[in-house]
Amino acid sequence: MLLLALIALLAPWLGTVDPTLFDAASRDLLPGKAGEIITLEGETIAHVFLMGSDSFGRDIYSRVLYGTQVSLLVGFFTALASLAVGIFLGLFAGYLRWADNLIMRFMDGLMSIPAILIAIALVAMWRGSLLTVIIAITVPEIPRVTRLVRSLVLSIREEPYVEAAIALGTPTWRILLMHILPNTVAPLVVQGTYICASAILVEAILSFLGVGLPPDIPTWGNIMAEGRPQFIQYPHNIFFPGVFLALTVLAVNIFGDGLRDTLDPKMAKRV
Amino acid sequence: MVADALHGAPQEHPAAAQVVNRPVLELIGLRIALPKGSDRDEAACGVSLAVGRGEVVCLVGESGSGKSVIAQAVMGLLPKSLPVSAGTIRLEGEDITHVAQSRLRALRTTRMSMIFQEPMTALNPVMRCGEQIDEVLSAHTSLTEGARRQRILEIIDEVALPDPARMFASYPHQLSGGQRQRIMIAMALVLEPALLIADEPTTALDVTTQAQILRLISALQRKHGTGVLLITHDFGVVAEVADRVAVLRLGELVEVGTRDAVLRLPQHAYTRMLIGAVPGMTPRLRPRDTSAETVLRVRALDKTYPGQGWLRKRAPVHAASQVTLSVRKGETLGIVGESGSGKSTVARCIVRLIEPSGGAIELHGRDLAHLGGAALRQMRRRVQIVFQDPYRSLNPRRTVGDAIIEGPMNFGLPRAEAMRRAQALMEWVRMDPAALVRYPHQFSGGQRQRISIARALAMEPELLVADEAVSALDVSVQSQVLELLEEIRQRLNLAIIFITHDLRVAAQVCDDIAVMSKGEVVEYGETQAIFSRAQHPYTQALFAAAPGRNFPFASGG
Repeated sequence: MLLLALIALLAPWLGTVDPTLFDAASRDLLPGKAGEIITLEGETIAHVFLMGSDSFGRDIYSRVLYGTQVSLLVGFFTALASLAVGIFLGLFAGYLRWADNLIMRFMDGLMSIPAILIAIALVAMWRGSLLTVIIAITVPEIPRVTRLVRSLVLSIREEPYVEAAIALGTPTWRILLMHILPNTVAPLVVQGTYICASAILVEAILSFLGVGLPPDIPTWGNIMAEGRPQFIQYPHNIFFPGVFLALTVLAVNIFGDGLRDTLDPKMAKRV
Repeated sequence: MVADALHGAPQEHPAAAQVVNRPVLELIGLRIALPKGSDRDEAACGVSLAVGRGEVVCLVGESGSGKSVIAQAVMGLLPKSLPVSAGTIRLEGEDITHVAQSRLRALRTTRMSMIFQEPMTALNPVMRCGEQIDEVLSAHTSLTEGARRQRILEIIDEVALPDPARMFASYPHQLSGGQRQRIMIAMALVLEPALLIADEPTTALDVTTQAQILRLISALQRKHGTGVLLITHDFGVVAEVADRVAVLRLGELVEVGTRDAVLRLPQHAYTRMLIGAVPGMTPRLRPRDTSAETVLRVRALDKTYPGQGWLRKRAPVHAASQVTLSVRKGETLGIVGESGSGKSTVARCIVRLIEPSGGAIELHGRDLAHLGGAALRQMRRRVQIVFQDPYRSLNPRRTVGDAIIEGPMNFGLPRAEAMRRAQALMEWVRMDPAALVRYPHQFSGGQRQRISIARALAMEPELLVADEAVSALDVSVQSQVLELLEEIRQRLNLAIIFITHDLRVAAQVCDDIAVMSKGEVVEYGETQAIFSRAQHPYTQALFAAAPGRNFPFASGG
């Protein structure tokens, strides 16, 4: 996970070239072949195409590395945004009886539409940019978080320590914030990383379908989409971003489990 | 002493005489290792014990003494992390210590059976009771379906359940706790095993049900000559059913002997301490100040839950009706009753966790039954509650200090001062003030209950409601917490409402007692009067069911 974050941050210094550069002379190179590439200023530099190049002569290695940036950004902010909204709605739905039906029926409605369709519709409405993609992926995730938070709140509010807090005269908002919210952390962290992972996938799917970010921005989905027509001849076009995608999703999930354990006071040393 | 007692099978069973040298179950120097990093190295260290045919041996110990682990070892149910490191387990002479799973499967329910504490979770909720018993039969016998059904109806009848055919077709949730435990017993005994292991079989049940189940186990065991290893923490149960008693402490068998020998003349200091901690049935006499001011007066309290349901209107539930009580300053009122009697409903109304449907709750003459908003908040500091379950009454994600200062800070006390008060309170409840920065999971059940008491006292309340506050604790810890409550009552001249299902505890701490049944107070008066001459048939039944009532346990002195 850390490695991936580093790759994303350091992409420009990892022996990459501008991922949008193309050179007709270096088209469809196999991984590891040396070649040359022309920069925007017109100078030609020698470059080793570690993962080969695509049908425009763009360096796949550079594109995959820069794609990491997009994927992680999308994953992280989608998780953050859907958790924030979901927690807020879920706390209300779980703790305040009158809000429950109102919020949850709306969420049920939202959930009955396939997530990818909502995302496609939203992106189509606003044209593709990083922000719209994040929003588009966030919206269908919100009902899931809300449901989870609500069910957690419903069970936690019956716990004696919450009743004790009521008896101590603690105001409702403080009970929600100090007693209920902290005890929802463990399942939420797991859900959050799951959303992060699925957002990365959805983003790749959107890009692949051509409704995500515009094709000039290197994302794993875009790379794969462009590699698709030549898949039989040059499988490396799809192979490398695919491997990165799978590894990232795996890493994010493992990271979530670790995070949950670290945040649990029971894991702190027993005295 | 131990060697003598090992084979001291009771005389009343004719069969016992011939097999006296070949017990049903024999444990020889059994050692079970605990995983590294546990609080001790072994769950059982060299336990030797025998259960004769037709004999009831009670394995007694506090939580964590390893008694359940030993039972699991016999059944071959130990998790891999707890291996048997030495010693032998013999079932009817056959060494089953390291025998293959297939052999264990063949032995379970045919030669040895086990019943568990929680009959709801031990039965599969989506299978009919009859089918669950049938599973045992079809796995171990070649009987035809008709014959199996016949046998099941017989055994259901034998465990004294009414209408076997209906029981056969019922799902577990349709039965009461006692009935479910009877089904468990039927399942365990349907193949007439030589050994029955009962792990706290009555702990989750009400006293009157417990008495019936214990009688049933004794009757069946006598009829079939089954050897019973009964695991319990309750000396009342021991006094009721045991032939012999084995006392376990931290995995070590400290004393084995006949029931009377162990209960009347305990040899080991630990046994003496345990038996000494069992509260007696004789009420403790205390001088009463009848001129003391009445703190709380509950008048004709009602709590009705309206019938719910969309299609069919269900009948409303009367959780409490016409409850009238009062407590004076410095006195303790006990509310005694079985589960579902409405005692906790009354407590929750008084603390205003729920709003009563009718009646009045007057604290120093001011009715708080229907207060709301700021007025209710002001009242909250004057009435505090301590809950039953020490593991759930503290927020696992907040430190003990945060828990104690929460109340005072809600009412405007600055943090530093609240912290000073918390430190003083920790000393009051005999805990190290340095522990304030720790999290609840770092404490034992008894310690957590002390913390809960400190949290309640931090509000400087006038009335403390203790809702089964000691019921989840081991006897020795229980007596310490009771002492603490008593000391606090005297020191602060606090009024206490003490809710319990345990008559022994009630006898020790209460000045007055209200007995509740089905939401109503059926008897209300001085502890002394109720214990010496109970008027209401329900109260009398409660007394008759109290386990070990004829055994003179320490009168709490």
